[in-house]
Amino acid sequence: MPRYVVERTFDGGLEVPTDPNGFDTMMGVVGNNAKEQVTWVQSFVSADKTKTYCIYDGPSPEAIRRAAELNSLPVDVISEVRVLDPYFYVGASS
Amino acid sequence: MLLERDGLLAGLEHLVDVAGDGAGALAMISGEAGSGKTSLMNELARRIEPRGRVLIGGCDPLTTPRPLSPLMDIAADPDAHFTGHDLVESDPFSLFADVLDDLKGTIRPTLLVIEDMHWADEATLDFLRYIGRRVADTKAVVACTYREDELGTDHPLRTVLGDLATRQSTVRFSVDPLTVEAVGYLASESRHDPADLHRLTGGNAFYVTEILATGEHLPGSVSDAVMARVRRLTPPAQRVVEGVSVAPRDLAVDHALALSGADLSDIDEATLSGVVVARGARLAFRHELARSAVEDSLPMGRRLSLHREMIDLLRADEDLDLARLAHHAGRAGDGSLVVEYAPEAARQASLRGAHREAAEFFELALIEADRVIPSELAQLRLDLAVELGILDRQEQALQQLLLAAEFYRESSDHVMLASLLRRLSSVLWRNLDLVGARRAIDEAIELLQDAGDDEALALAHEESAFNWMLARRHASAREDLARCRDLAERTGADHVLLLHDYMAATVETVLGDAERGVAGLKRVESQFRERGDDRLAASALGMLGSGGGEVRRYDPALDALRTAIEEGLRTDADFMVAYNRSWMARIAFEQGRWEEATRIAELVAEERYGRAAIAPVTALGALGRVRVRRGDPGAQEALEEALRIGEGCEMQHLWSPYCGLAELAWLEGRSGEIPKILDWVWGQALAADSRWARGEVGFWMWKAGAINEPPDAAAEPFALHMNGRWKEAADAWHDIDCPYEEALALAEGDEEAMLEAITIFDGLGARPAARIVRSRLRAMGVAHIPQGPRLETRANPAGLTNRQVEVLGLMAEGLSNGEIADRLYISKKTTEHHVSAVLAKLGASTRAKAIARAESLHMTKDGGDGLRQ
Repeated sequence: MPRYVVERTFDGGLEVPTDPNGFDTMMGVVGNNAKEQVTWVQSFVSADKTKTYCIYDGPSPEAIRRAAELNSLPVDVISEVRVLDPYFYVGASS
Repeated sequence: MLLERDGLLAGLEHLVDVAGDGAGALAMISGEAGSGKTSLMNELARRIEPRGRVLIGGCDPLTTPRPLSPLMDIAADPDAHFTGHDLVESDPFSLFADVLDDLKGTIRPTLLVIEDMHWADEATLDFLRYIGRRVADTKAVVACTYREDELGTDHPLRTVLGDLATRQSTVRFSVDPLTVEAVGYLASESRHDPADLHRLTGGNAFYVTEILATGEHLPGSVSDAVMARVRRLTPPAQRVVEGVSVAPRDLAVDHALALSGADLSDIDEATLSGVVVARGARLAFRHELARSAVEDSLPMGRRLSLHREMIDLLRADEDLDLARLAHHAGRAGDGSLVVEYAPEAARQASLRGAHREAAEFFELALIEADRVIPSELAQLRLDLAVELGILDRQEQALQQLLLAAEFYRESSDHVMLASLLRRLSSVLWRNLDLVGARRAIDEAIELLQDAGDDEALALAHEESAFNWMLARRHASAREDLARCRDLAERTGADHVLLLHDYMAATVETVLGDAERGVAGLKRVESQFRERGDDRLAASALGMLGSGGGEVRRYDPALDALRTAIEEGLRTDADFMVAYNRSWMARIAFEQGRWEEATRIAELVAEERYGRAAIAPVTALGALGRVRVRRGDPGAQEALEEALRIGEGCEMQHLWSPYCGLAELAWLEGRSGEIPKILDWVWGQALAADSRWARGEVGFWMWKAGAINEPPDAAAEPFALHMNGRWKEAADAWHDIDCPYEEALALAEGDEEAMLEAITIFDGLGARPAARIVRSRLRAMGVAHIPQGPRLETRANPAGLTNRQVEVLGLMAEGLSNGEIADRLYISKKTTEHHVSAVLAKLGASTRAKAIARAESLHMTKDGGDGLRQ
């Protein structure tokens, strides 16, 4: 399944309460994603909490958009990405 | 997760909550075996446990059940405050009283479950009667599950149910079979077709999950479950069931009696056991799966002899049931009877619109090809090819026609050969052999020149006009139509004249005066209906949909497509369904309904293998173009795949994907590449007579600066745009609901128009185009450019969808489900789904609690902006 980075903007800043409601919100998102066969891997949140960069696995950009719609989350840009990390070539060079 | 049980669960939870306040209830939960009653009880128990006590017991399918076994189970639970240890000697009523005291004295509400009540012993039934009369004064819900299908009319549980039915504290629930949608959801990651799986299993949750888990057509667990029930029957009743298992769909009671040598009481035993059901005077299995489990269990000799007996019984009938005879002849391995019955059964099925069945019977007859004389064999292949074409099995259709053609070529029957070549032409076309298609129809006309059969020649010219129309060659199509008309008038054959009118209206729609063409197609469609030819009527609708779609007469096109798809689904017309759906996607794309476009396009693209290319080409073109306009990844890939699948298609199916690639280049600042991208299709568009192909391909050539003015006969809105008349162009696009093109035209205008373009692009989610206009405005020094679209997302805390938030708002206004349904133009059932989803997500058992919780989360109108996203 392809991997995507989804950029989102939250004008008022993203707030996820650290109480049971926050947990419910997260699980709600996970449940809605499952309806579109989309998996939320993790997100990076800007320091001012207005932008998020979310890593998703999903069958298509349309599925990512539908899951966002189900979760009432905004979508700015979707990019398909591959994983590269600093140790990618370890082993190949030695 | 339990599908489609939210309403049941919410209802049962509600009962438990009310019981906590001292108003207990008896819940009688019925459903057929395998419907998921136990899963429902487990989920209910899971939900109740945090706030109440759960006690579970069950009855067993023993010949001599343990007396009161469910209560004995429960008494062993440390949470139960009664004991059953001296039950054997004691009066059971003193135990009942102990249970009642417990249920009254409890602090937390209690859910007491008794599973499989249809197997209850006498004493347990007494308990049910006892507790059912007193449960209202307890803090408990006594929930009993039972199999409705195993309750014969004289089952003792029926009497108890009757006694308790009128009490207010007795509530009945039924666990219904799953819908096609739910089965589709469960099967979404498998290769099963939801409709097939639903038909096979009757929506039975156990069967569905077993098939999905094992991947087998008939999982061992299912046949074990079925056979366990069959083996509990007496031998004569078993023979009845075996007889029913060899019949397709169902079996007449008389035939069942004759096959089994049983009597009517044995039939009652079989139906009361729930293994088979009575439908009028016929017997049937509740599920196709159960039927094949029993049939598969029969030894070969027994199976063959049942099929042979069925043949004898059916042949004695006055009205021969050819379909059944053909079926049993095939199963009995009787080749000469297959040849006698199958072809006629196939033709009857075809007339009914059951094209899959028709193809099966023709294929069955062809297994016995060596018993058929060559001329009949060629006819069979021709007939089969027609069915295969309808079913969108184009390669197989072509094979059959080529085999039949060999025969007609040798027999030198020119009229028959020409008729076959007519069909061959359209099938070759669908298999992307455009040259072969033209050659076949030319040969047919040539053959008929001196054959003296004007009707056949008229039909050949009609097919030829069709072929030219597909290539969008107006003059050639009209020449053939004129010839067709002369010949048809000479023969006076009405149906040939009507076919002429059909093709003339089609040509008019795509190449001439669209208004007149559309009106003509509508007229022809109703004339076909009057003649009872639904298949040609459906073709005319399809033509109205795709042809009308191409020339952007969207309203009549969409109406026609919707009707044609519905009709196609009913008559196995898979080719028409796929192609019409692909045009729904194309139109939704052009009209800016992109979510709809992608959903439909995916549906078509998923089923593209072994089928005619033109549907997936059109669908993937729409999908790719939506991605281009949204700026999403995978756009180039989807468009290139469309063009790869469509290699060899006519220009009419390819210009839209090509324009998508050109538009992508423009949006990415690679306009210089556009002339090269469009090189081939631009030449094709100029050689053909489609105004909309010339218009759109020309438009992107113009955008790239490769041409300075519109090509001749380009569609009006594009021509206006290219002539710099942006305002009129925008109005023209607005009139036919093409918002993206409207915004493209506005973007060529003054500052105000450009700002309007941005609003439209933002509304569509057309990021790349909006960005281009914004940067041009910035370059012009415009100070106040609105920011991009921002959802007001302090995402609502419970994770409700927009629709659910809307429903919640209406619930808060005090509207009932029916009123909400009316307000939102959705069905009551859909409303119920939304309401249960809202209850589930808010963790509320009642509407009042849901609304209170929503208020505490600031989700209602008074509480915050959550509802006004």
